[in-house]
Amino acid sequence: MSYTEEYKKSLGYYKHASVFWTDLISLMSSRPQSLMSTGPFRKLGVNAKKASAEMIEINQELAEFNARLGEYYKQLTDTWNEAQKQFSKKVPEIPTDTEHLDATKRIWIDIFENYFTRLFDSQEFAENFGKLVSSELELAKHWNNVTSLMLESVNMPTKKEIDELYKELHLLRKRVAKLEKIDNHGGNGSGK
Amino acid sequence: MESELRIDPRILEEFLQMNRNILDAPKLAAAPDEIILGMTPYDVVYSEGKMRLLHFNSTQQKQVKTPLLITYALINRYHILDIHPQKSWVRNMLEQGLDVYLIDWGTPTTMDRYLGFDDYVNGYMDNCVDFILHESGIANVSMQGYCTGGTLATVYASLYPEKIKNLILTAPVIDGSRDSTVVANLAKHMDVDKMADIVGNVPPEFMYYVFSILKPFEQGLEKYVQFFKNIHNKEYVENFIRVEKWLSDTPPIPGELFREWVKNVYQDNLLIRNQMHVSGRQINLKNISMPVFTQVAVGDHLVSPECSMPIHYAISSEDKTLRMYATGHVGMIASSFSQKKVLPELGQWIKERSEK
Repeated sequence: MSYTEEYKKSLGYYKHASVFWTDLISLMSSRPQSLMSTGPFRKLGVNAKKASAEMIEINQELAEFNARLGEYYKQLTDTWNEAQKQFSKKVPEIPTDTEHLDATKRIWIDIFENYFTRLFDSQEFAENFGKLVSSELELAKHWNNVTSLMLESVNMPTKKEIDELYKELHLLRKRVAKLEKIDNHGGNGSGK
Repeated sequence: MESELRIDPRILEEFLQMNRNILDAPKLAAAPDEIILGMTPYDVVYSEGKMRLLHFNSTQQKQVKTPLLITYALINRYHILDIHPQKSWVRNMLEQGLDVYLIDWGTPTTMDRYLGFDDYVNGYMDNCVDFILHESGIANVSMQGYCTGGTLATVYASLYPEKIKNLILTAPVIDGSRDSTVVANLAKHMDVDKMADIVGNVPPEFMYYVFSILKPFEQGLEKYVQFFKNIHNKEYVENFIRVEKWLSDTPPIPGELFREWVKNVYQDNLLIRNQMHVSGRQINLKNISMPVFTQVAVGDHLVSPECSMPIHYAISSEDKTLRMYATGHVGMIASSFSQKKVLPELGQWIKERSEK
């Protein structure tokens, strides 16, 4: 789903205005801020601009996420309505005995199952779902960035730093395993 | 004024009975959290990271020397292979005189996000095989891979054919381009790079969502209606709760492994074209020359038969068997049907090709 030109324009202006004012306020406040060269408040002050930029990005992604989510619910609702129409055609009257009630339930399940499976099997659904998940991941990325800024301010390791540590640990484990294999089998460590 | 609508009193009685059953349910069924899955006793004989190698205790005389190593899937847990005494895959294999080992992948944490095919195949699997070979003093094992475990077993057999005596592939995920399931449709449109980079491991909730849309009305509604209808049937209830617990227990998948799996199998379809690489080594399916038994289920809505069957034609084995069963993905491994039809055939096949 694409945004209208008008929407893009107003979003662009909103982004520009926010960055302009956060930049300007940051510059104006840099002198008093520099009096405190260490500590969490100093870091928070410096990071405020980055956090603000992340929030603007989040708003932009939120619009995309909402559009995808709207499409997702529309696909589900349309399919439900079509299945219901088909069911009403097949079963025009409410059953009044148990045998017919059981048969009606079976027809209802089969029709709805068929319609929804057809939807989930379709390229349109998979494409929108992929983009919905993708926009959700973008939101998660910005949220991670904001959290990292907060963690940095209080001298705590960020997600990125912990991931680097995990990567390093993973590589070290591999190297140790390779060396152990060479030691045990007298091989060359190539996995053979 | 008399109403026009006349309702069969049996409908009302059924409705009231259903309500009574719902009220009685807590007295008749255990809560999923209260039960322990896995029926057959085992020893943990080797472990590495979160992975454990289980060796099942057998009361039967071993009929063959060649042990069977089962590589379970990456989705849900191995308990489905030992879910109920009368439907246990593991127990049946033991009763047929086989020595059974199984790899339990455990629960990966954020620390394991960089684990990929190399770690699973050249690391965990190869170390398990080496351990078994050392323990049993023989040259090779029979390996069975189920679902995504079938993909791992295929890759392993291509890289280490000398260590595999017989290969059994049960609903393996091989040719993503031919897979007509909902899972494959979603996988083809997924930005896996973004997922692995941003969230690391694939969250269990995401996997649960993908499986919950497979048969939403049959599995999401009717199944529970039937559960309450059958609440006084002890065996039905016990089996239901066990399978439900298994279904909801979805561990995360290491991000790197998920990225490689989706790209190599579903998106770029490299495995079946012999273009997949693991740690720089090409996965050539022609390297698979040992006896191979491929099992597929006609009603499989997770891995369609068209996705599994190409392996039968891509390998160089002369002794190869392809069996198609009239059941589903889980029915093939944990049902009365599998006990009566699938397992006796497989047991016989393995025994005929194993070291006595």
